[in-house]
Amino acid sequence: MATVIKAFKGLNTVNTVIKSLANLSLNKSISSSHFIPQKILSVHRCAFLHTTSKKYDLMEFFDDPKNWPKDTVKVGRSWSEDELRIKSNEDLHKLWYVLLKERNMLLTMEHACNDEYVIFPNPERYDKVEESMKNLENVVRERNEAFYFLETGESGERPSVYVNNILGLKQCYKLCQHIIPKYCNLSWKEKHRFGFNGYAVRKFLRLYREKLWNIKRKNRNRESNAAITLLKKFPDLDIEALKHKYPSIDINKVLRHNKLKGVRRKSYIV
Amino acid sequence: MRFNVLQFVLPESKRYANLPDSFIKRKMEQIYYKTPPHPNYLPKVHQRKKFYFELARPWTDTFRFQNQDKSDHVHVEPIKYWSFFRGDRVQILIGPDKGKQGIVKSIIQERNWITVNGLNTKLQLLKKTDKFPGIPFVFEMPLLVTEDVLLVDPFDLKPTKIEWRYTEDGEHVRVSVRTGRIIPIPPSHFSTADYKNPALYVEGDKDTTKEEVEKITFKPALKTFAMDIMDKMNIKEDRYQKPTYWY
Repeated sequence: MATVIKAFKGLNTVNTVIKSLANLSLNKSISSSHFIPQKILSVHRCAFLHTTSKKYDLMEFFDDPKNWPKDTVKVGRSWSEDELRIKSNEDLHKLWYVLLKERNMLLTMEHACNDEYVIFPNPERYDKVEESMKNLENVVRERNEAFYFLETGESGERPSVYVNNILGLKQCYKLCQHIIPKYCNLSWKEKHRFGFNGYAVRKFLRLYREKLWNIKRKNRNRESNAAITLLKKFPDLDIEALKHKYPSIDINKVLRHNKLKGVRRKSYIV
Repeated sequence: MRFNVLQFVLPESKRYANLPDSFIKRKMEQIYYKTPPHPNYLPKVHQRKKFYFELARPWTDTFRFQNQDKSDHVHVEPIKYWSFFRGDRVQILIGPDKGKQGIVKSIIQERNWITVNGLNTKLQLLKKTDKFPGIPFVFEMPLLVTEDVLLVDPFDLKPTKIEWRYTEDGEHVRVSVRTGRIIPIPPSHFSTADYKNPALYVEGDKDTTKEEVEKITFKPALKTFAMDIMDKMNIKEDRYQKPTYWY
C-alpha cells in the first residue's frame, strides 16, 4: 500500500513540474513587461572598447582584394632596432600583433596562390616581417635586461654554463629552475653527470684532437693549393687580395713553391 | 664555422635588388635532407655546397635551374676592393665595341663581371619556328673587370687605371693614376629596384608613414615590458614567486 501511495506522490510531483514548465512558457510575455533586476557582472570598462577594425570574419586572414590581381605589391623595408627603441612598450605590444597578423596573412595568401596556380607576389615580404619581429623581440629583451641588471645585478635571461660532458667535450648546459635544492635532488643527480675520467676517454680525446688537427691541416693545404692554381692562372694578381682571401696560409711560402717555377710575375721582373 | 650559402653572394651584386638576406638564403639553398629537430639527432644538413654563377641572380628560378645537376668550377681572380659601380662610365677594351664608352648596368661580383648599357651585345632569335621568323632580342654580354674594361677619368673622358687612396678627411676614394683626380662614386650606386634615392621613396599603402616612425613615445620607467603592459591594462598580480634553485 505504501508503495502505491509513493507512486501516486511521484506522479503528482511530475504533474507539478510539467505545470510549472507550461506556466513558464505562457508567462514569458507577461514577465518581460515587468522590471526584473538583473545582476550586472563587474567587467572592466576596457572590455566594451573595441580597438580592432570591424571585420571579424575569416577574410582578415586574406589580403585586401584589390591586391589580388597585382603582380607586385610594393612594400618598404623592415623595422630596424633603432626605430623600435624610441617606441613605448604599449606601441611595441600593438606592433607585435600587427606584424603577427601580417605574417599570418602572407602565409595564407601564399597557400591560396599555390592552390590557384598563381604566382605569389613579392615573397620577400614574409622575410621582412620576420626580421621586424626578431628586432622587436631583441628590443624588448634589452629593456628587460636593463631592468634586471639595475634591480638584481643579473640579466633576467635563463642562465647557462659550459660543462665537460662524459666524453670530455665542452657543452653548453642550460640551467633549469627547481623547487628543491641540488643536494637533495637525487633523481637529477643521477641523470646529469658532468666531468670525465678514465683511460678510454683520454684516448678518445687524443684521437678527436688529432682529427680536428687533420681537418685544419687539410683545409690549409687545400687553400694553399688553390692559391697556387690562382697564381698560375693569373700571374699578375694582387697579392694583398690573395692574402685577404686566404688568411690562414703563408703567401711567401706559396710563392717559393716548386709548382710556380716557370710562372713569371711582373713583380719578379721589376 | 657552419656552412652558409650567403657566403657566395657578394655585396655588390645583391645591392641593387634590396632583398633581405634571409630571403636570398631561402631561395638559393637546395636542401636534400635535413635531420628532424629532435634532441636524439645531430643537427646535420645534406645540401648543395658548390654553386655556378652566371647572369641569373641567385634568388631567381633560372639560377636554381642552372644549378640543378652539375656546377662547373670557375677560377675567379681575387680583388681586394671592388671598384666598378652602377652608373660608372667605362671604356671597353675588347670585342666589337672596342674603344666605346658606356654606363655600367649591372654587376656580377662573383664572376668579376659587369654589363654595360647597350654595348657588347648579342642578338638572339627567340621563338623561331618554320612559319614564324622569330623575335630578335638583344642581350648585353658580361665583361671581365680585370681585363676587358677600364674606368673613364671624368676630367678628360679617357680611360685610366685607378687606385684606392685616403683623403685628408679619412675618406676612401678612387683616384685616377694618370691625372690624380678623384673619380666620385655615382649616385645610381645607391639606387635600388625600389627607389632611385632613399629620400625619394614614395610610401605605399602597407608602409608606416615617416612621421609615425620618427615619433618618440618611449618614456623610461623602472619596469619590465610585462610589468608596463600589465599596468596599462589594469591587470593586478598579487601572487609572489617562492624561492627556486637554478642548477
